[in-house]
Amino acid sequence: MFANRDLGAADVRALLARAGFDVRVQRPSRRTLLDTFDGRLHAARLRLELRDDDLRELILSEGGSPPAHVAVEAEPTFAADLPPGPFGGRLSSVIGVRALLPIVTVTAQRSVAVRRDAQGKNEVAVVVDDQIGVDGARLDCPTWVVSLDELEGYAKAAQRATRLLVSFGLSECGADILGMAAVAKGVDLHGYDGSPTVPLERGESAGAGFRRVLANLANDIDANWVGSVGDIDPEFLHDLRVAVRRTRSVLAEGKGVFPAAERVPFQSEFAWLGRATGGARDLDVHVIGWDAAVRPLGPSARLLLEPVRDHISGLRRIEHANLAAVLRSDRYRDLIDGWRTWLAAGDASSESDRPLGGVVADRFATNQRRLVGKGRKIGPGSPPEDLHALRKETKKLRYLLECFGGVFASKPRRAFLGRLKSLQDNLGEHQDTEVHAAQLLAVCEDLPLSDQTAAATLLAVGRLTEHLDRRRQAARDAFARRFADYDSKQTRRNCDDLLRSVSGS
Amino acid sequence: MKVLATYSIKGGVGKTTSAVNLAHEASRAGARVLVWDLDPQGAATYLFRVKPKVKGGAARMVGAKGELAAHIRATDVAAVHLVPADLSLRHLDLHLDDTKRPTERLASLLATVARHYDVALLDCPPSISLASESVFGAADALLVPVIPATLSSRALNQISRFLDGLPSPPDVLPYFSMVDRRKRLHRELTVSLAAEWPGFLTTIIANASAIERMGPKRSSVATVAPKGPAARAFHDLWSEVAVRLWA
Repeated sequence: MFANRDLGAADVRALLARAGFDVRVQRPSRRTLLDTFDGRLHAARLRLELRDDDLRELILSEGGSPPAHVAVEAEPTFAADLPPGPFGGRLSSVIGVRALLPIVTVTAQRSVAVRRDAQGKNEVAVVVDDQIGVDGARLDCPTWVVSLDELEGYAKAAQRATRLLVSFGLSECGADILGMAAVAKGVDLHGYDGSPTVPLERGESAGAGFRRVLANLANDIDANWVGSVGDIDPEFLHDLRVAVRRTRSVLAEGKGVFPAAERVPFQSEFAWLGRATGGARDLDVHVIGWDAAVRPLGPSARLLLEPVRDHISGLRRIEHANLAAVLRSDRYRDLIDGWRTWLAAGDASSESDRPLGGVVADRFATNQRRLVGKGRKIGPGSPPEDLHALRKETKKLRYLLECFGGVFASKPRRAFLGRLKSLQDNLGEHQDTEVHAAQLLAVCEDLPLSDQTAAATLLAVGRLTEHLDRRRQAARDAFARRFADYDSKQTRRNCDDLLRSVSGS
Repeated sequence: MKVLATYSIKGGVGKTTSAVNLAHEASRAGARVLVWDLDPQGAATYLFRVKPKVKGGAARMVGAKGELAAHIRATDVAAVHLVPADLSLRHLDLHLDDTKRPTERLASLLATVARHYDVALLDCPPSISLASESVFGAADALLVPVIPATLSSRALNQISRFLDGLPSPPDVLPYFSMVDRRKRLHRELTVSLAAEWPGFLTTIIANASAIERMGPKRSSVATVAPKGPAARAFHDLWSEVAVRLWA
């Protein structure tokens, strides 16, 4: 981009016209940068812009590729709102179920000046944005900018245009107008960072380290509150619940670090919060996974199952209304306010002064021992509850490694998390398919169906639950091998490396 | 990236018209499109107003040390880029023959730019040659325009028989082109050929003055007559193709 305080946008347009550019009439322009709450597009080096000029279109840009355009009638919220095709596909693969949110909006009076070659083809375009506004407020400096649109294969024409702009007395002032607007508004394009890992010192006191981890998780709960209450997208509730589970897990590991009289009441209240938000999340999972679950049954079964889907969507709306009430309740507010107050207070317990590294290493070794012990007891005849209990152990260990990641060396930690995740995936598939099938049958008990459709739809539900049961059985069959891979010499070596990395401080 | 080729053994059946208009429609549907003009006549290059010049000639583009990226030009259609053609492409077969695996050469060149595009549309010259085999090796689907005439079924059969001999042949998506509904033969053959070839796309591209005006205007029908029946037909044709590709 180029600008000059001593010139006006009209001067630049006149100079461009004199230099042989075809300068088009100024038109109002509105451009909104869209991204998810956690900046997934920015992280993937993609830029999505909603442009309202002559027509309303979405523009998806990626360095080195031509920007893709698609006309839209309304601002899309989800990738699924877009017509099927590569545009929606690319977007969907990056943002998943997350909602697109407006990050910053730039308005301007825009004119485009083009220079054509002997074929009559545009070889370079210069865009003049005048009377720039950011999110409704006029920008004082610069009030106008000039951008150069370099076209693939026409680098020399772009170089000539750059020299021309410099000869007008313009100087470079940033990469692009939306980036400039984000800076002016103080927006961090990286989005919200929900990482549970905070900087920790192995030698610092356990109490201080635990509190810093818990404070970070409290920030996560707060950050995801608005999106959960407003049902903006299902990831807000998911992330809020993960932060709550991690909080409970870290509090449980804080035995000895924090007095039980302080720790246990919070554990109990966070357990309540977990339960109170579970119903809405279970139904979210049904809705998100619906297409993938019913696809293997074929299009006719999919059609027959539509009443079930509609019923689940209706239940989901009710559960989300209940969820909003929970998150707005006095009990929730008291919990969070009390929690923040407690986090800011000092430590008073036997282990709170111990070095953090040693405490975390002890917890890690104990959890890993317990996990392996429980896993070894599981045989072909073990009830599903044993596998569910093992899944809880894997979660505890994972939360410990993620939340206290700062005390471990990163390479063995990443390797260990990979091993753990592989086991967790198997246990997750086993439990999720079982819960999913059971919930589906429960939902069907009060499904409003007409006599004509009831039998066919219920038969389709039967096929769906059968399919889920086959998936559950496949996960059950794969468990022994998956656990053997985990309960291996390599994992033990990996464990030793992790523990050494903590004690090596 | 999905690779499509407008292809026919016969000339003058609407391959280039289709390539240019489908590229425009694909881009309007949100795809990033690379059109590769493989015809030495360079008609697609002309319609996109790009200079008909292949730097260093076809040898430097498809030869053993050739590369595609350096030859790509933006067009005036958003999200549509073009690899232009010039007369040096008349020796395309010879240059391909100089490479180690000529029938895989176009595919390997396209692979180098695949991450930047969703669709590559190859506009092929009317022939069946080594270059055609290389196109078959690269393409996911051949878009075959068919004028409803007595010999059209024979030409389709020839393509089909040839492709049957390949290890992984592209899909063949024939569609009617340059149809004149005033002609009884056209009306009859659009029915009988479609019955004979169940894979026929249902959209019919009829003769239209807007298509004829593409030449003098050097633009797609969506630019020449955006609300006309020809623009709608190409829009529908692309929608049908997209369903086959992404459904």
